[in-house]
Amino acid sequence: MRSLLFALAVPFAFLGACGGPETSQANNAQANISEDSRVADNAVASNLQLRLSMGDAAKVMHARHEGMEAIGKATKAINRELKGSSPDLGVVRSSAAQMASLARASSGWFPAGTGPEVGKTGAKPDIWSPQNKADFAAKLRNFQGAAQAFNAAAKGGDAGAINARFADLGGTCKACHDKYRMDMHH
Amino acid sequence: MKKPVWDLPIRLVHWLLAALILFSWWSVRTHHTDWHIWSGCAILALLIFRLLWGFAGSSTARFATFVRGPRGVADYFRGRWTGVGHNPLGALSVIALLGAVAIQVGLGLVAEDEDGLYTGPLYRLVSIDTSDRARDLHENWFKVILALIALHVVAILYYRLRGRGLLGPMITGKAVLDPGTEPMQPGKWWAALICLAVAIGITRWVIAGAPPFGS
Repeated sequence: MRSLLFALAVPFAFLGACGGPETSQANNAQANISEDSRVADNAVASNLQLRLSMGDAAKVMHARHEGMEAIGKATKAINRELKGSSPDLGVVRSSAAQMASLARASSGWFPAGTGPEVGKTGAKPDIWSPQNKADFAAKLRNFQGAAQAFNAAAKGGDAGAINARFADLGGTCKACHDKYRMDMHH
Repeated sequence: MKKPVWDLPIRLVHWLLAALILFSWWSVRTHHTDWHIWSGCAILALLIFRLLWGFAGSSTARFATFVRGPRGVADYFRGRWTGVGHNPLGALSVIALLGAVAIQVGLGLVAEDEDGLYTGPLYRLVSIDTSDRARDLHENWFKVILALIALHVVAILYYRLRGRGLLGPMITGKAVLDPGTEPMQPGKWWAALICLAVAIGITRWVIAGAPPFGS
């Protein structure tokens, strides 16, 4: 990261030097250049930090979007099996395992600065408001717990337990989405 | 002297449909998706009943008496239409509204919500992608229904301004008729019961996933 900053700062430092007043005398020209380059250096550094953090935010938001979509797809696949007359336990198990690992990953999906102020997202800004932070974290934990419990039930073969844990899991999705997701049409 | 224009089943279907469309909109906006789906199923039953009543009902309920071709509509514009019930232009609005609501119900039957938590009763008849696409269409199609409802209300206001109240007859079932026009010929009460029973039966079969196709 540091070397990248430096590598990007070097050309800007040269630009700063070139932009220096040509009429300045030789003996303080050197001082001018170094001062200019320092200013440029700082500007680039703060800009890059801004830009890199924007990039990081976009990356997180993308991962979040893809992850949520994958969770939705897994839910739909499971739904189709469980409601059918002859559920394919293999599909249920692999989807449950996928969902459990996505649920674990979801801990990293909601850092501050990844709300609608940064880019297109269905996440409401309420998620990061001081009064909701704890509630949101609790709801996310509920979801993660329910995903693990469902995965455990799916590994067993008890249809009653699988259905019950799947309903619990859906409840944790809804609890959070009703409160913290915007009504989006995409 | 007011004469019968709309029978009770027509008026009930009309107002229940209006109420259920309002309820469907409200329930889905407030995340009561389960209620939304039940409301859609009730609308399905209403539509089936209305379709059957359009063949077996009172004279003004029957499609054969009020659905007219372009010539009928043109005659109506020239003031050459007399009769009771839907005029040839209004008939187009009726068919458009019922058709648009039927399409909306059809899309809802195979749709599933974004999270896969709620599904229309026939979602297993189609693939996940089709279900998701049906949901998107279902959301957008509501705009078509809203536009038709707006047109419907504007038309009623327009007739009102021209001195013809349409709201009262849809509530009481009676209106003052132009001299020389025949009043509504009522349908049979037992025919209405049969239509209702068939509508409920088909709807229950759909709710069950349309066995044996949906299992």
